[in-house]
Amino acid sequence: MWFDSVLEWLKNTQFSMLMRESTWAEPIVESVHVLTLTMFLGFAILLDLRLLGICLTRKRASEVLAQFNPWLFGGFAVMVMTGVLLFCGDPVSFYDTHPPFFKIKMILLAVAGFNVLIFNLGIGRKVAEWDLWPRTPVAAKVAGIVSIVLWVLIVAAGRAIAYVLPPP
Amino acid sequence: MWLKTLVLSFCQWCNNSFFGHGIRDSVWLFPFVEIFHLIGLAVLGGTLLVLNLRLLGFGFRGGRPSDLAQDVRPWMIGGLAVMLVSGFLLFSTEAVKMYGNWAFRAKMSFLLLAILYTFTIYRRVVKADEFQIARVWRISAAALSLLLWSGVGIGGRAIGFVTTSASSVNVSASQD
Repeated sequence: MWFDSVLEWLKNTQFSMLMRESTWAEPIVESVHVLTLTMFLGFAILLDLRLLGICLTRKRASEVLAQFNPWLFGGFAVMVMTGVLLFCGDPVSFYDTHPPFFKIKMILLAVAGFNVLIFNLGIGRKVAEWDLWPRTPVAAKVAGIVSIVLWVLIVAAGRAIAYVLPPP
Repeated sequence: MWLKTLVLSFCQWCNNSFFGHGIRDSVWLFPFVEIFHLIGLAVLGGTLLVLNLRLLGFGFRGGRPSDLAQDVRPWMIGGLAVMLVSGFLLFSTEAVKMYGNWAFRAKMSFLLLAILYTFTIYRRVVKADEFQIARVWRISAAALSLLLWSGVGIGGRAIGFVTTSASSVNVSASQD
């Protein structure tokens, strides 16, 4: 398949070799990937908990959304960049693990993105209406719980990848 | 030296305990516990970060810091509890090895300081109202919090990259 040759090509680039062979590149990039979980996943979970109406209830939902958004975008950008770097280090192995945890993680990420999209096009657009309600609407709760479940599964899949990659 | 003996025998007990054994011998239990450790990291880290950013003046305004602290407090403590339990389980699988690992020792030192600090001085600074305390104290308190907890996180990452010197765990031979 053409995609396999792209991965093969990527693996043979100088950049990929540098990621693989450098003593410090992988540990540093991996550490940034893991520790940025506090900013990205931590904030995402806090936002989800607000949508469920069980955290930050003193603040209006729209306020929480607006305040978390820039940090979520920034945190996600760091997660994606460091994730891509880790992938570049050994693209063929990442893509071909058994069980296919990397592919599972990518699919779950796409579903999580879809969940955000549905929220923003649906109940999120009407946030001004339910901003001051003591209880959040069901659709917001569903978006929050779906998000939490997906992110826990994404973390699980991510952690599992390390156990099925061939040793360096 | 009684302290060293005490700590080492505790480590040996952990190594040989049913959970230490069980997690070590299973293929998937270790990563399974790691997932809890990571989710706990996200929740604990997220709550600390949001509060510290507020104290530093980087967003999350509107409302007092003490209210924000109260709102996130149960989640902060819950996250910490999950981290401590899952961390202890991970530690128990190779406790004697951890005893000789300087990164692990650094992490535990930072952790002790961070917990003590968070529930004493830091808590009082967060509780104080805008008029009761100079801004410089809030910024200092937030910076110290970030420093101590970063020490815990970076120390944790370093554990895996530190090779334990054999001489410091010479007692490990007696565990089997």
